[in-house]
Amino acid sequence: MSASPRPRQGAFGSFGGRFAPELLTPALEELETARREIVPTKAFRDELDREARAWVGRPTPLTRAPRFSARAGLETVFKREDLLHGGAHKANNVLGQALLARHMGKSRLIAETGAGQHGTATAMIAARFGMQAVIYMGEKDMERQAPNVRRMELCGAEVIPVTAGARTLKDAINEALRDWTASLSTTHYLLGTAAGPHPFPRLVRDFQAVIGREAKRQWRREFGGLPDVVVACVGGGSNAIGIFHAFVPEKSVRLVGVEPGGAGLDSGRHGATLVRGTPGLLHGARTMVLQDDEGQILEPHSISAGLDYPGVGPEHAHLQETGRARYVAATDEEALAAFEVLSATEGIVPAFEPSHALAFVLRARESGELPAGARVLLSLCGRGDKDLETYFALGRSPVRDRP
Amino acid sequence: MSHSALSAVLADGPAVSPCLVLGDPTPDLSVEMARAAVGAGARLLEIEFPYSDPVADGPAIQAAVQRSLAGGTSTSRAFELLGRIAETCPGTPLNLLVYGNLVHRIGYECFAERAVAAGASTLLVTDIPLEESVPLRRACRRAGLGHVELAGPLTPAARLQRLAAVSSFVYLAGFQGVTGVRRGGFDAMLHRVAEVAEIVDVPLCLGFGLSERSQIVRAFGAGAGIAVVGSHLVRVVGDLYRTPSDADRLLSGYGAAVRRLISNG
Repeated sequence: MSASPRPRQGAFGSFGGRFAPELLTPALEELETARREIVPTKAFRDELDREARAWVGRPTPLTRAPRFSARAGLETVFKREDLLHGGAHKANNVLGQALLARHMGKSRLIAETGAGQHGTATAMIAARFGMQAVIYMGEKDMERQAPNVRRMELCGAEVIPVTAGARTLKDAINEALRDWTASLSTTHYLLGTAAGPHPFPRLVRDFQAVIGREAKRQWRREFGGLPDVVVACVGGGSNAIGIFHAFVPEKSVRLVGVEPGGAGLDSGRHGATLVRGTPGLLHGARTMVLQDDEGQILEPHSISAGLDYPGVGPEHAHLQETGRARYVAATDEEALAAFEVLSATEGIVPAFEPSHALAFVLRARESGELPAGARVLLSLCGRGDKDLETYFALGRSPVRDRP
Repeated sequence: MSHSALSAVLADGPAVSPCLVLGDPTPDLSVEMARAAVGAGARLLEIEFPYSDPVADGPAIQAAVQRSLAGGTSTSRAFELLGRIAETCPGTPLNLLVYGNLVHRIGYECFAERAVAAGASTLLVTDIPLEESVPLRRACRRAGLGHVELAGPLTPAARLQRLAAVSSFVYLAGFQGVTGVRRGGFDAMLHRVAEVAEIVDVPLCLGFGLSERSQIVRAFGAGAGIAVVGSHLVRVVGDLYRTPSDADRLLSGYGAAVRRLISNG
């Protein structure tokens, strides 16, 4: 085995880089220039802050969850990204990138979507800014997230079904990359997660980092000090890197990312890329991927369309390699149970994605994965309306914990 | 075969390079197709390894890759088929088109050595561009495998020179986009070919979008030394092959399609 090739551009340790076809180089260089020259300016920051308040709905509150905490045996506080416009943390990123695209003179936005949250957010910002929006979505995801498809169309976006592969998120990204290769002079690819070729992992992280920055400030003010643990679900990893980023330098704070364990880690049907993957090149970055011995990418599985992805943002691979963050998995079944518990104990119906993070907290004390007395900050990154159809079709019984 | 064989072939004038996907439509037939192409006059071949996520490829090659993977063509099997093609077509330089993860997975050195052992002359890794290709180029050099970089319609002159400096030949995508047959836009493309041919001092290979002899003749006139025809020929497979009984029809149809690209009139 040869030494791992260290990426030359945008590396996070041995991960990251720009492993994209040469035809995309002009677009990626243009974007990197814009990221360096436009994003730091006062005018851009002011515009971003103004829109974040007025249109996205920032800041979001921290919510104590006493009844959920009692179930978990761990004091848990939620960062309420489910309350953002569109119902998920995705709005933070689409606002930043769409503003940047406008500065770059691009009139057309393309995006991939899995659960439909990023596609919906893109459709909404495109409507607000009067830009054209084309959303690539796997056919399977269009079936299981039908309400979001209709929401995107309502906002004037064109949703293009992707029929290749497993017809999920990975295939949608492939198709968006193909579109962008041909359309880059007029089009910005509004990538929805902190993955992809440099500069996307940094660009997306920096727009999502507001989650952790805000939460840290709020925690200090409301509870004093710092949380002991920060927990978030990880698909591509934008919500997790968004809440982790401000806490990475705080060595006392444990960072835990929860991946989709699907039907179980040993079933082969899961999306636990960091827990069970190996280093590879996918969608422009060297990162952890689910692949066979010869490098063919495997089809992942998760009940959550938003986590159903065989790669992960390269910065998470780096945080895992250095030991700064720990990554675990929660199964479909655990996530569904947590979805029911949160709905019944706090009156918050979460999306299936953060239900994985909730599932980890519910089991962590008993399993010994977290110590007794740990105070947990959890990114509740999306609300569950989009998942209700899927949930009801399962015919499960809700939790009844009151007379 | 060493990549100097390429110079020998190009010394006889510009060459059409038919492209095929290993294992498409079946492992054996992809070897037979290579033989048919050479029998029809091809002096170079472009060989793509099947990969689950071919982001630079359009619908025709995606379909070919899917046929190949569905038939069980793993990377090990692909190397075996490559070796058979090299035996079947001695003296024909074989340029490999491979996606980075297949190379990364088994290691750059290992991949380059296996490619040379199987008879490849050059390697283009579609999604490992110049900045990230340093360790790959080192591995190719050690193994005696030629390295090829991809360029596009928008690649600036200074970058073209840097690409050429590390390439056995520069592979220019004639159109901005994924692989696939194009209608129109050829005048701008030919202008670009002439411009790039002036800048690079290694052979220039033109790919993406070509499907007719007349286009190829004009591309050679503009300075291209190699013209790759991929999607147009790969589509012949989808059109002619449904069941094993179509094998003869496929091979004669493929050979005829190659011949039409190579000979005038």
